[in-house]
Amino acid sequence: MKVDLGKCYPLIPVYAIYLVMFFIGNNMPGMWELMAMLAFYCALGQAFNIFLGMTGYVDFGYVAFMGVGTYGMALGITRLIQFKALGLGLIVIGFLLAMVMSTLLALAVGAVALRLRGAYFAIATIGVNEGFRFLIEGAKIWNGSEGIIFMSHMNEAVGDKIASAFSTFWADVLVLIIAALAAFVTLYYMRSKIGYALTALREDEDAAKVMGINVTKFKIIAFITSAIFAGLLGASAWALKTPYVFPPEVFEIHYTVEAIIIVLLGGAGTLLGPVVGGLIYGISKYYLAIILPGFQLLIFAPIIIIIIVLFPEGTVGMLKKRVKGTTLERYIV
Amino acid sequence: MSLLRLENVTKRFGGLVAVDNVSLEVQEGELIAIVGPNGAGKTTLFNVVSGAFLPEEGKVFFEDRDITQLPTYKRAPLGLGRTFQIPRPFSSATVRENVAIGAMFGTLAGEVSVDESLEIADHYIERVALQDHRDKEAGTLTPVEKKLMEIARALAMKPKLLLMDEAMAGMNPMDIDDMVQLLIRLKEEEPTMSIIAMVEHIMRAVAGLAERVMVMHQGAKLVDAPTKEALTDPRVVEVYLGQPKGE
Repeated sequence: MKVDLGKCYPLIPVYAIYLVMFFIGNNMPGMWELMAMLAFYCALGQAFNIFLGMTGYVDFGYVAFMGVGTYGMALGITRLIQFKALGLGLIVIGFLLAMVMSTLLALAVGAVALRLRGAYFAIATIGVNEGFRFLIEGAKIWNGSEGIIFMSHMNEAVGDKIASAFSTFWADVLVLIIAALAAFVTLYYMRSKIGYALTALREDEDAAKVMGINVTKFKIIAFITSAIFAGLLGASAWALKTPYVFPPEVFEIHYTVEAIIIVLLGGAGTLLGPVVGGLIYGISKYYLAIILPGFQLLIFAPIIIIIIVLFPEGTVGMLKKRVKGTTLERYIV
Repeated sequence: MSLLRLENVTKRFGGLVAVDNVSLEVQEGELIAIVGPNGAGKTTLFNVVSGAFLPEEGKVFFEDRDITQLPTYKRAPLGLGRTFQIPRPFSSATVRENVAIGAMFGTLAGEVSVDESLEIADHYIERVALQDHRDKEAGTLTPVEKKLMEIARALAMKPKLLLMDEAMAGMNPMDIDDMVQLLIRLKEEEPTMSIIAMVEHIMRAVAGLAERVMVMHQGAKLVDAPTKEALTDPRVVEVYLGQPKGE
């Protein structure tokens, strides 16, 4: 992979925001949990954007990839606990398992569902997510509905101190790193033939085929990439942060809806959009819950509707048009 | 060796025979017009060649290779380009990006980088005189500009055979003359490229452009002859104008 540094300008604002988030969280007392939540939403948006934003397909079962990623980490640590001498190596294996499992699920789902278009695809993916959850619970796979609690395994593998450092600090830092990686991959795709192919198929799939684009191949590339980041996110934000996994929690469709809102608020298919969307969503959710506890959703829904009506291309999509022709243009993509 | 060869191609939609036992050969460098009234089966024939529809009977050969069942996206790299009756730009991408997509995935696929594709795009954008609109979103162009952009995009694929679907429908006479001039110039620049242009009723364009004409009527091939002969053929006149009274 050849990287031309001159083309990396758009990453500057994204990484600047992530660094500021880290410093605020690390240096201002009481801010870490808020920053961790914002990092999670930014990463979620950034990961989902690679699929939703670049292909225009809405995957309502997206949270399933985070779910299997969480299971990947849990299984890696519990089933391989006899190799506890590996220490942190077990966590690396957990991440690898999360990637492999989300890739396999994406391949299986993509091979079938990506043949469908529009609403049919969306509905099929809801079915996959719910079906997968009931399969795990009903067939008692991976402990079924009892889930996996692996607090003690974590302590055994890496020691009490490191285990608790993971859940209070490192899991959140890893989320930021995953978000940063997702931003890099997004920009790399945008600037390569993959991005051009995805733009073409998002706008007109039949015309794209006539131009020689193997649309299925590129859709699967975007789908798997997005799924892998979701898997990593589940493994760190859920499994490492709180060392247990229950099917109803990790296959909760609510997270998919949040991901969709974040991408739309920020601007689908843009690089900076999911970050801005994640910040707007996370901050308003957090403070509305403090100011108007119980009523936050009632206030929140109209805010989202207003933003989407005012800026149908998302806040960054609108900003991108405003700065066209100025020196800011190359930073906002 | 002929570039494109259709052998007894038939395409049905239920009981309707849209293309009825059509055979056609196109040689390298030829410019052929397919004419016929609305519903004659021209677009269906195009879709069979470009792969959007699979024919029920008959075979399609490209450079003697049987491509009848080949998926659409594998035909472009072989050298098959096309434009659409109603332009289909990738609306949110700029004109330059649209044309570059043609270069990236056409016959040069695998040989050119993204930057090289953008350079190729610049060349063809200039050929169709859209350089002032290069960085505009394709969705914001006028219909005529969209058609020009589609031609540039198809040319950037460096096709051996270009299928032009109703390139001039809905244009005013001045634009039609400009378009004919443009096509003649482009043809001179790429003498080995063959073009099949589909035309519904704008005969002045056909007469000024094509060396050979195939006339279709109700799905079947009616006449396949040099332009002058074809356009004065009594059967063609009858298809378009009906029979003279009293005969």
